Amino acid sequence: MYTLRRWWDRYGIRMLLVGVTLSTAWVVRETQGAAILEVYQGMTRPFQGAPNPEEQIANARVLELQQRLVELESQNQKLQDLLGYASASSQKGIAAPVIGRSADHWWQQVTLGRGSKDGLQVGHVVAGPGGLVGRITSVTSRTSRVLLISDPTSRVGVVVSRSRYTGYMRGQAANRAVLEFFDKVPDVRRGDVISTSTFSQLFPAGMPVGRVESVNLNKSPAPEAVIELSSPISYLEWVIVYPHQSAAAQSAPANPEVDVP
Amino acid sequence: MRNDPFKNLLKSSAYNRSLLNWAVTVASVLLCLLALPLRFPGMELAGIGPNWLLIWVVAWSVKRTVFQGAIAGLVLGLLQDGMTAPHPTHVLSLVLVGVLTARLQKQRYIEEDFISVALIVFGMAVLAETVVAIQFSLQKLDGSSVQAVRTLAEIWTYHQRTALSSAILSSLWAPVIYFPLNRWWERMGLLEQP
Repeated sequence: MYTLRRWWDRYGIRMLLVGVTLSTAWVVRETQGAAILEVYQGMTRPFQGAPNPEEQIANARVLELQQRLVELESQNQKLQDLLGYASASSQKGIAAPVIGRSADHWWQQVTLGRGSKDGLQVGHVVAGPGGLVGRITSVTSRTSRVLLISDPTSRVGVVVSRSRYTGYMRGQAANRAVLEFFDKVPDVRRGDVISTSTFSQLFPAGMPVGRVESVNLNKSPAPEAVIELSSPISYLEWVIVYPHQSAAAQSAPANPEVDVP
Repeated sequence: MRNDPFKNLLKSSAYNRSLLNWAVTVASVLLCLLALPLRFPGMELAGIGPNWLLIWVVAWSVKRTVFQGAIAGLVLGLLQDGMTAPHPTHVLSLVLVGVLTARLQKQRYIEEDFISVALIVFGMAVLAETVVAIQFSLQKLDGSSVQAVRTLAEIWTYHQRTALSSAILSSLWAPVIYFPLNRWWERMGLLEQP
């Protein structure tokens, strides 16, 4: 009993401190660092500038292409109406600033400065200037974490816009991804545009993803193509978040970070 | 009569002092955590930033016991898991870094503090990335995890790139964390002595 008391007198406080520190660290791990992210959002708030749409569309060529796209979209809409095609109504997105990059080298994530208070939820789709960026994997009240499509764990079902050959895409860090085709001899060329396919459960169909940079048809087991992602993932500043009710989310996923096309 | 409130606080009592010491230590960890998602110009090499928590663990364990180093690695590893994703865990690599740094008999080999800490951080950063890469490889070979989507070749090519960038950046930024913390702890140690 005496030795126990002496031990406690010598090491008691220290052990208590170690216990408190360890349990705090455990809480942070279990809450996915929610408190820290909130503090981070508060601290970086003064540096979050307003979005600058003029800069993004300064290019007259871009404007022209956008107008042509609007024209085509409305034509498409009219044709679909004539056919009686029930299309999903286009939803309005929520603009969100990118306030942080990944806190580790092995995951490709960004942190957004909007959270559940602004209507963001897990599973919402994130797009940047140029196309698809990723999806939200965790939300705190004022921040949210996005798993980028350039992360190897995020797999997206995609389609070659020109020839409609399908496959799935795995991220390769930075702004590259690898597309594995389902067909043995796909019709694909350098420069083809890639967009999300209707097979994708986590992402809405028809979002632009990137362009084919090189093709390797001899690759086993499936032909592969390297894709250059069209959104500037390494220097994103603002993104648009679109609500999306994913098919996987409705059936309680075991692992929300993997998109099985 | 000079009356510096800070010095008064330092001299007030052992209890207050250790409270202050803990507050400063915790604040420095918090600062490192907040620096993790930041990428200032000059802080980035091929999209990879310095590993602030690793620098902190090295700064902490350089003049401490193996047990203290291991605890620091455990706590900061859990924190980093919270900031990213818990599988594979950062706990293993940071605990290893803490233990090895504490075991290192650096007085025997290198004199200058600054340079030796930068060197230790360089080596430890490579080691930490390797531990993570090994965990990814084991996940892949095990085949049970849903997340094991990278091929072995991909893992180790990526490892080369991140290990080198992370080691260079972390060792260059190491003095920023090490110097003030070391000064603080030395001062506290001197005050503790009767």
